Amino acid sequence: MKEIDNPIEAPVDQSRTNPLARVFDELVRFCRSRSMFMLHYCTGCGAIELPPAMTSRFDMERLGIQPMVTPRQADILLITGYVSIKTLKRVILTYEQMGSPKYVIGICSCTVNGGMYWQSYATAKQLDQYLPVDLYIAGCMPRPEAVLEGMRKLMDRIRSGEADGWKDYYRRYDWYLGNQQHLFGDDWQTPADVIGEASHYDLAEPGTEGEHTRLLQQCQKPLEPQQTFFQIGGSLEKKGESHE
Amino acid sequence: MSKKVTPWLDNLLQEIEGVEIRRKDSRRVRIDIAADSLPTLLELLRGRAGYVHLSAITCVDWIDDGQFELVYQLWSYESQSLVSAHIRIAREPGVYVSVFDLYQPAAFFERDIHEMFGVYFEGSPDMSKFILTEWNGPPPMRKEFDAEAWVNETFEWKDYQPDWLKEITEQGGGIVKTPEEARQKKP
Ligand code: SF4
Repeated sequence: MKEIDNPIEAPVDQSRTNPLARVFDELVRFCRSRSMFMLHYCTGCGAIELPPAMTSRFDMERLGIQPMVTPRQADILLITGYVSIKTLKRVILTYEQMGSPKYVIGICSCTVNGGMYWQSYATAKQLDQYLPVDLYIAGCMPRPEAVLEGMRKLMDRIRSGEADGWKDYYRRYDWYLGNQQHLFGDDWQTPADVIGEASHYDLAEPGTEGEHTRLLQQCQKPLEPQQTFFQIGGSLEKKGESHE
Repeated sequence: MSKKVTPWLDNLLQEIEGVEIRRKDSRRVRIDIAADSLPTLLELLRGRAGYVHLSAITCVDWIDDGQFELVYQLWSYESQSLVSAHIRIAREPGVYVSVFDLYQPAAFFERDIHEMFGVYFEGSPDMSKFILTEWNGPPPMRKEFDAEAWVNETFEWKDYQPDWLKEITEQGGGIVKTPEEARQKKP
């Protein structure tokens, strides 16, 4: 663990005037790097290396890395293997639901260049065209040591403030969306308002909006609340409606 | 059990015209039959020989003959034997009748074949998309579909020799052969 405990030089943000701000930033980054909650959307065979990485032999938890159950609670999205186009849609949905800051790790050669499914019409080739990937762990499949090594690398990068893929997603949303539309068609949409989030984090830049986001806004259908039906006394009633 | 059933099955099959029977071994029979007679054959096999389990329908694309081959795999629990009935249908327009009324699992197999090969089954309960719900291209299992060309058109490739990799290669790691080299045939 020696490298991790070495002090890491963080890039200096000149716009911050409060001298204490950097101390807090440092602290926040340290805490973030030591509580990595991962959501592993087990897309492919690479996921099989995670159980040994988590259980007694390698025991990820001693590094502060833990599996999490829902996207809202997780910081890291692990893509463990090939992503078919169908899965990619769900992966993007999951990613957009995660709270920022969030990190993406692409495990396996399949996420880098299609791996051994390079010729398959159904497998997306480069994951980083659709999601901002902070780190790739290549191999078919990478061993738990490699997974841990990658995790520690990510820790370092979070601590030094280099892991900012999520910012890139907001800054260049139009480009990512364009690639997504290329695969899923022009009417592709998710429930997340990425442009709104970008301005919330003060990250809206010229690349955030463009022709693809305009297309999105044209095709966007407002989400309808899901209607739940349940039986009361023999008649079918809509939930939420009063029945006095 | 199976020995007893075999001659009986042979007699039964003689009732249908235009069949070619090849006995692969004592528990496996291949029947080639004209497409029109297949429903009759299935009806007979199911009703009188106990082949109640349709394990699968598979499709083969014989693009040079302009035909699709449909293979119906039937299993009998009584005689523990498998009958595969092969038919050929014209590739264009690629339409055949559904056997859903005889074997209900056929609905899934037919839907799958419709999606993968574009064969239409008349009378099948549902011919809508099944697995490839996000796919708008041609039926991908047809032989004329060139997956590699489609992939090259749709996706971009990552550079196989980026600078950071060259450094690793110099130290003895990295990719030994580029994909181009790997695909070159030996002289
Ligand atoms: S790189 Fe290998 S192990 Fe990983 S998802 Fe692809 S085929 Fe599976």
